[in-house]
Amino acid sequence: MGVAAPARPVRAVRRSPNGAGRFLLALGYAAFVLLPVVYMVLVSLQDAVTAGDVVVPRQVHWQTFAEMWQTVDLGTYLRNSLLIAALTGVVASVLALGAGYVVARFRFRFRNAFRVSLLATHTVPGVLLLLPLFVIYVIIQHALSVRIVGTYFGVVLTYMTFALPFSIWLLSVYIASLPGEIEEQALVDGATRFDVLRHVTFPLAVPGMVVTFVFSFLLAWNDVLFASVLTSPATRTIGVGLQYYLAENQLPLWNQLMAASIVSAVPAVVLFMVVQRWIVAGLASGSLKG
Amino acid sequence: MITGERPVAVEPGAEQAVPGLRPAAIRRPRGSPLRAPYWLMTPSLALLAVVVFLPMAIAFYISFTGLNEYTIGDWLHAPFVGLKHYVDSLAPSGAFSSSLFTSVRASVAFSLLTTVAITPIGVGAALLLNGPVRGRGVFRGLMLLPYVIPTFVNAILWRLVFMNGTGLADQLMAALHLGSRETFWLIGPRSLWALVIADVWAAWPFIYIMTLAGLQTIPAELYDAASMDGARGLRTFWHVTLPLIRGTLGLAVVLSTINHFNNFTLPFVMFGSSPPDQVNVLPLNIYVNSFITFNFGLGAAMSVVALFIMLTPAVIYLRAARVGESD
Repeated sequence: MGVAAPARPVRAVRRSPNGAGRFLLALGYAAFVLLPVVYMVLVSLQDAVTAGDVVVPRQVHWQTFAEMWQTVDLGTYLRNSLLIAALTGVVASVLALGAGYVVARFRFRFRNAFRVSLLATHTVPGVLLLLPLFVIYVIIQHALSVRIVGTYFGVVLTYMTFALPFSIWLLSVYIASLPGEIEEQALVDGATRFDVLRHVTFPLAVPGMVVTFVFSFLLAWNDVLFASVLTSPATRTIGVGLQYYLAENQLPLWNQLMAASIVSAVPAVVLFMVVQRWIVAGLASGSLKG
Repeated sequence: MITGERPVAVEPGAEQAVPGLRPAAIRRPRGSPLRAPYWLMTPSLALLAVVVFLPMAIAFYISFTGLNEYTIGDWLHAPFVGLKHYVDSLAPSGAFSSSLFTSVRASVAFSLLTTVAITPIGVGAALLLNGPVRGRGVFRGLMLLPYVIPTFVNAILWRLVFMNGTGLADQLMAALHLGSRETFWLIGPRSLWALVIADVWAAWPFIYIMTLAGLQTIPAELYDAASMDGARGLRTFWHVTLPLIRGTLGLAVVLSTINHFNNFTLPFVMFGSSPPDQVNVLPLNIYVNSFITFNFGLGAAMSVVALFIMLTPAVIYLRAARVGESD
């Protein structure tokens, strides 16, 4: 800048350079995001004959959203997914609270190895574990004469593979950031470790548990791989069930498929938006801070 | 609220508790309430053993056996075939399965292309929306939409977009005179691009979220200082912003490479169980070998190979996450 620099007044308020340009760029991003979504909505409002052949419907066909429930057993799939995803979220969060607490508050042998393995499971391809899990479940079924494959229990158990390590990791980081003095005081006053966990740590850890719940819920909701092998027709989830709009009919019902897709995306989108701030903070801190 | 509910006899060790010192710093006698309550970990550890560690060990074992639909009932006595599957998987494409080499190439091409494409898109959006923009809050939320739409919905949507002749892609190309309406996206060599485009759209917000989180930790004074030193635009980005978000961005890039590589849902829902060679990525090929043609041993061998390919990015990821370095 040379000699001219000192003469420039220091701006108290940062001026926005190219305000219009920045706004246009943001609109460009918005168009990029919305184009496929709008297309999905438009196709869902077409009638079965033209669906997928045109972009803009000639006549808005709202009935698609009523018809789709009859074509495949959409209601059952949605209910199964809700149940399985909610169970996965609750079980992972509750179990991870105990383990995360120990990892956060105590030093023990193999602690670091354990923490590394929590993150390492994230890199394991799910398809590697699917077949061995199937074999293990079949063995347990034979040994104990219980059913696992095709039950809610089996699917939820399987989702612990990825939900539990992440939840333990995140809660351990979260609990480590909470002050430990109250816990110690409670212990000195004669409370048991379980009392402390239940009445001191748990209330403070609720925001962290909300994040682990939502993460685990979405993980279960989005899965197709495990559900395609481990669910029965009665426990089929939405990710697998949606494909029957194409498989079971001779004429692909794109309008109903798009309508059902929109409906099945709603719980995931709403849940994410509700806890967006926590998830974003969790993503950044959970993977960055030791 | 806690005290008095369940009074416990204070044990000798507990009386020596030093306030402010973490319990773990002192060795506690067995049974003391201040001893580490390892039992709290037991359910998680037991579960992880059953659903993570044991299956991995079994996968290694199966990869050396001739396990198939006939021997699955008595899997422990499936014939031991040594490295046969690892050799077989290198064989040229057969009628039902692409060779391992084809799949590795497809997977690497897919995950690298996608990551290379989403990084500038994501960083650009983060830089844009970290600064002043009219309606910033709305834009920030909107950008997350592709990321939160379930992958199976995303896959179905793009399958329709890329339908030959009638899909949005072909209609747009024809309208803009960029290509024929009869362009095939879901079969043949263009299928890789269809897959990459679908995943770019779905995955770029991840880079955006991570970068934005990184940007928000940079104090504004640094920019003021750089600005007073005469740094502008790109120079500020290269010399101030990038060094400060390098850690977060690096982590995001490695994580997203891993996620693309392991993505099963997108190629499976877009292309089904007999995909074109160009998009027959490893997870899909393993799935077909294991659950369509029931050649479990070969599927397991290929997934072990996939695991080893993931080793390098995984180590980079674990180092970037700096686990084990602190405390």
